[in-house]
Amino acid sequence: MDKSKRKFINICLGGVAALAATAFAAVTYPVFRYYLIPPTDKNSGGKTSVPLNEIALGDAKFFEFNGVAAVLVRKQDGSLAALSAVCPHLGCIVQWEKDRQDFLCPCHAGYFTADGAVISGPPPRALAKIPFSLANGVVTIG
Amino acid sequence: MMEFLGKIYNWIDVRLGTHEIITEKRTGYLLPRNVNAWYSLGSVLLVIFCLQIITGMLLMLYYVPDIDKAFDSVSFIMTEIPLGRLVRLFHAVGSSMMLLVLLLHMFSILFMGSYKSPRELHWLTGFFLLLLAMGISLTGYLLPWNQLSFWATTVATDCASSIPFIGENLVELLRGGKQVGIHTLGRFYTLHVGLLPALIAVLIGVHLFLIQRTGVSTPPFGLEDTSNQWKGESFVYEEHPGGIPFFPNFFLQK
Repeated sequence: MDKSKRKFINICLGGVAALAATAFAAVTYPVFRYYLIPPTDKNSGGKTSVPLNEIALGDAKFFEFNGVAAVLVRKQDGSLAALSAVCPHLGCIVQWEKDRQDFLCPCHAGYFTADGAVISGPPPRALAKIPFSLANGVVTIG
Repeated sequence: MMEFLGKIYNWIDVRLGTHEIITEKRTGYLLPRNVNAWYSLGSVLLVIFCLQIITGMLLMLYYVPDIDKAFDSVSFIMTEIPLGRLVRLFHAVGSSMMLLVLLLHMFSILFMGSYKSPRELHWLTGFFLLLLAMGISLTGYLLPWNQLSFWATTVATDCASSIPFIGENLVELLRGGKQVGIHTLGRFYTLHVGLLPALIAVLIGVHLFLIQRTGVSTPPFGLEDTSNQWKGESFVYEEHPGGIPFFPNFFLQK
């Protein structure tokens, strides 16, 4: 077989392979997207409102903020703190201990103050702070 | 009765030559004379895998992969179904046993040098089987949806976040959301009862094909000459002339 014929066949085969690759991608991309993006709760554009009278002094309220657990603390002195409730160690959700006025991570016993600073345990840094504003007795987080 | 069964066997044998398969692949399949008990761990694993499939299917009869119902359905299996407790614990303990025997199998291969050429592919497929076994154990651990499984999965998936750049996205991909929740359960359930068992079954097939193809390795200690004859230029089936037949000698050995 002469060389030009072989070259022509190789080019054709290359074209077929490219077409097959495109078809494969066209099929797998929707499958990937189907797997990748779960339906998310679109609650009020990333902002959450909590009426202040829902939280007693020295208590905390947990809620979901942008799909992640968050917490609003009303300390004994009446001041507020909005924090991510996700432990920076390995991602467990911290618990509010009302009698001790601190946060405990149940997974590896990390302790945090009501402001999120690390008291003891393995957490490498403080709980992330979330900006909030207080107006007319309603706390708006985010 | 025996005559009737014999007729059926003969009917199949005439068409497929099954007798030849049995004589060639079992009785004619010779193993080195100094083969030892460690060589049976692969078969032990195959038996455990089959038991996991059977008990897994039995659990699927009553298990409900929903965050509100999963724990109750597992409690129902444990407390209400006759022998349900046995089936579930068989499945749970079996998975631990599977990993334990996998490690023993791996160490015996390592210490006897059986992974050496021409058997690198055996080791490689075995290593992927270990990864898949760990994956199927992790995904199965979440399914009872109790405190232990929830937090263990939170911690285990969070480990992926330490990968630079793509870590956070990878965690979300694994969990099907930012936190372990209903989508995590769905994903893990699908992987646990669908994709991973299928992949493991295929890879076990490849692993067994490779062993049949190259022949069993000779242990580095024992009775006979144990030098590796393979020089690496071309494919050679490692024969064991004067060896013991796989069936019945090795198969029925204590």
